[in-house]
Amino acid sequence: MQSRGNISSLLIRLKFSAMMALDGIGSNLLRTFLTVLGISIGVAAVVSLMGIGEGARKSIVSQFESLGENVIVIKSNAENITFDAKEAEEIPSRVTGIQYTTPVVYTQDTPIRWRRDESKMNIVGVNEQYPQIKDHKVLSGNFFTSLHVKQRSPVAVLGYNVANNLLNGRSPVGQTLKIDGINYRIVGVLAEKGKDKGDGIDDKIVIPYTSALKIANTKDILEIWAKSNSSEDAELAMIQLGRIYQRKVGIGSNIRPGNGQEEEGMEPDMPMEEPMPEEPSPEVPGEKENVFEKGEEPLTITSLNNLVKEADQANRIMTVLLGGIAAVSLLVGGIGIMNIMLVAVTERTGEIGVRRALGAKKEDLLIQFLLEAVYVSIIGCVVGIILGAWAVTIVSKYGLSAIVSFDSIRIAVFVALTSGLLFGVYPAINASNLPPVEALKRQ
Amino acid sequence: MDIIKMGNISKMYKSGQIQVEALKNVSFTIKEKEFVSIMGPSGSGKSTLLNVIGCLDHASNGSYELSGNVVDKLSDSKMSEIRNMFIGFVFQNFHLLPRANAIKNVEIPLIYRGMSGKERKELAEHALEMVGLEERMHHLPSQLSGGQQQRVAIARAIVGNPSIILADEPTGALDTKTGDLIMELFIDLNKKQSMTIVQVTHEEEIAEYGNRIIRLVDGEIVSDESSGGILNV
Ligand SMILES: Nc1ncnc2c1ncn2[C@@H]1O[C@H](COP(=O)(O)OP(=O)(O)O)[C@@H](O)[C@H]1O
Ligand SMILES: [Mg+2]
Repeated sequence: MQSRGNISSLLIRLKFSAMMALDGIGSNLLRTFLTVLGISIGVAAVVSLMGIGEGARKSIVSQFESLGENVIVIKSNAENITFDAKEAEEIPSRVTGIQYTTPVVYTQDTPIRWRRDESKMNIVGVNEQYPQIKDHKVLSGNFFTSLHVKQRSPVAVLGYNVANNLLNGRSPVGQTLKIDGINYRIVGVLAEKGKDKGDGIDDKIVIPYTSALKIANTKDILEIWAKSNSSEDAELAMIQLGRIYQRKVGIGSNIRPGNGQEEEGMEPDMPMEEPMPEEPSPEVPGEKENVFEKGEEPLTITSLNNLVKEADQANRIMTVLLGGIAAVSLLVGGIGIMNIMLVAVTERTGEIGVRRALGAKKEDLLIQFLLEAVYVSIIGCVVGIILGAWAVTIVSKYGLSAIVSFDSIRIAVFVALTSGLLFGVYPAINASNLPPVEALKRQ
Repeated sequence: MDIIKMGNISKMYKSGQIQVEALKNVSFTIKEKEFVSIMGPSGSGKSTLLNVIGCLDHASNGSYELSGNVVDKLSDSKMSEIRNMFIGFVFQNFHLLPRANAIKNVEIPLIYRGMSGKERKELAEHALEMVGLEERMHHLPSQLSGGQQQRVAIARAIVGNPSIILADEPTGALDTKTGDLIMELFIDLNKKQSMTIVQVTHEEEIAEYGNRIIRLVDGEIVSDESSGGILNV
């Protein structure tokens, strides 16, 4: 039987099967289009949903980064809960696993004057432990010291961008700049954290919190950062801090009973007379009220670690959801392909018989019909990716952060090809197993 | 030299409880350069016999040699190769691929032989010349008349230079005049190209083109004679 087994002759037959498959999908364009639609909707769903998921993940990641590793944030959301500086300093001795702490004071749109230029900037007031807590290096100069903090010294450390803008990249260390009308000496410049990272610290000025309190004209500290050695320590510290502050909020030490909308854990005998009916009046608009409307707790203790857990859970839900969508689209698209291929095999039974009579082997037909199914899924895949990418751009225009990720395309391609192959196999085997005589009889 | 050697071939079909014996102990030989017509009433087993000869189907019992090869127990894949190398089929309804032009249709058996495009084209052109259709090489089947389509099918059957051409009712779908033209082409191929032809027909006039007529009734050979006189029974 001569040399029919060599590679070039195999390739010639393969090429013919591929051509016949192409011919097959071209033979009924409307039907092909409808089948392609089935697959492409599935693929588009995977690409766009994964894009949204990925966008959400990225924003969570940037939250982590602004928080810092093993940093616990103790934050008051109610005006009546405040911390004092001593309290913050005592935390490392009271809570095992905590190494560094700092009170944090924010000021917003504080007037700044650099030589002749006036501007407004956001300022963060911390103590000397800030670089350790946030793992933030000082690029030039030094960070301010505990003495500076204690003496409420007018010293400032500049965020990377702020420093760069002052002297076109030259170090401004040693120069002075006016903050809220007072001359501050620039003692250091912080390293770059990058855009959207580190809570925008690159564009802020860091000063002793004592000075910041003066600018803000308040004594109330509403936020404390604490740093532990490891994530295990952080977890332990969270529990201890939780106990300490539950007591504090509950007993009401250091709480000025103002607005009455405290959390459930409040003592029932707390005085909450007048403010209650006052609450809905438009008299006190402010942020705090909104916070309460959102049902936020008066005091929150947050760490990277529990955010990680939350994000993990969110990611897991997302994964399950996407897995489900992928499975459903695989099923729906695949059934569409199978349906169309079974019809194609039935329609072309006579043709299959003739080709068998002329010398086609089972494999030739198997490959032809399998390829036909795969072609449909490839086209569906390409169309789906385009549709999905389009959906992602639309969604991101409306404020949701969504990205077309390489992963989503990889998964979509995998899913579509798998469904094409999986659901194409049965009709293809049907076609190849038709006895030639039977196939020839049907016309 | 014997191309076909059939010994006690029988073919059983089972459909449910009922068993049909489409061929009953059929024995005959066909020599090179013969032009044999198989006749018989509908359901007498003509197509079944042709399918066995053409290696499209196995017999249930008996022995069959094609060009000296015993084909009784060959695999599906080997049977495909034998069909491709030794047999040229012509069908009642032409069975051309509708979306391929004449020359592409004629090339198909050569594709399954793994022949390169250039060689295929030459052979296909030559085959189309032999059936007088060199002018219509690039026409689609739908652009050809029934007789022309059957010529393309015949070109496809002979393109690979098979040992034997098998035709099941080749004129069944054609009018008498066109049918006669196809028969003249067969005579031509038989006489000038020395091709062995076995055709199935139920028309006496068509059968007469052959030089030997085998008659089947109920799966049995009832007569086997040359167009002139009886050869053997
Ligand atoms: N696949 C099959 N299954 C069952 N019976 C069949 C099958 N093919 C043919 N037969 C039976 O075998 C007999 C011969 O059929 P066939 O060879 O097609 O006859 P002819 O071609 O002479 O008209 C008939 O009785 C037919 O019904
Ligand atoms: Mg028949």
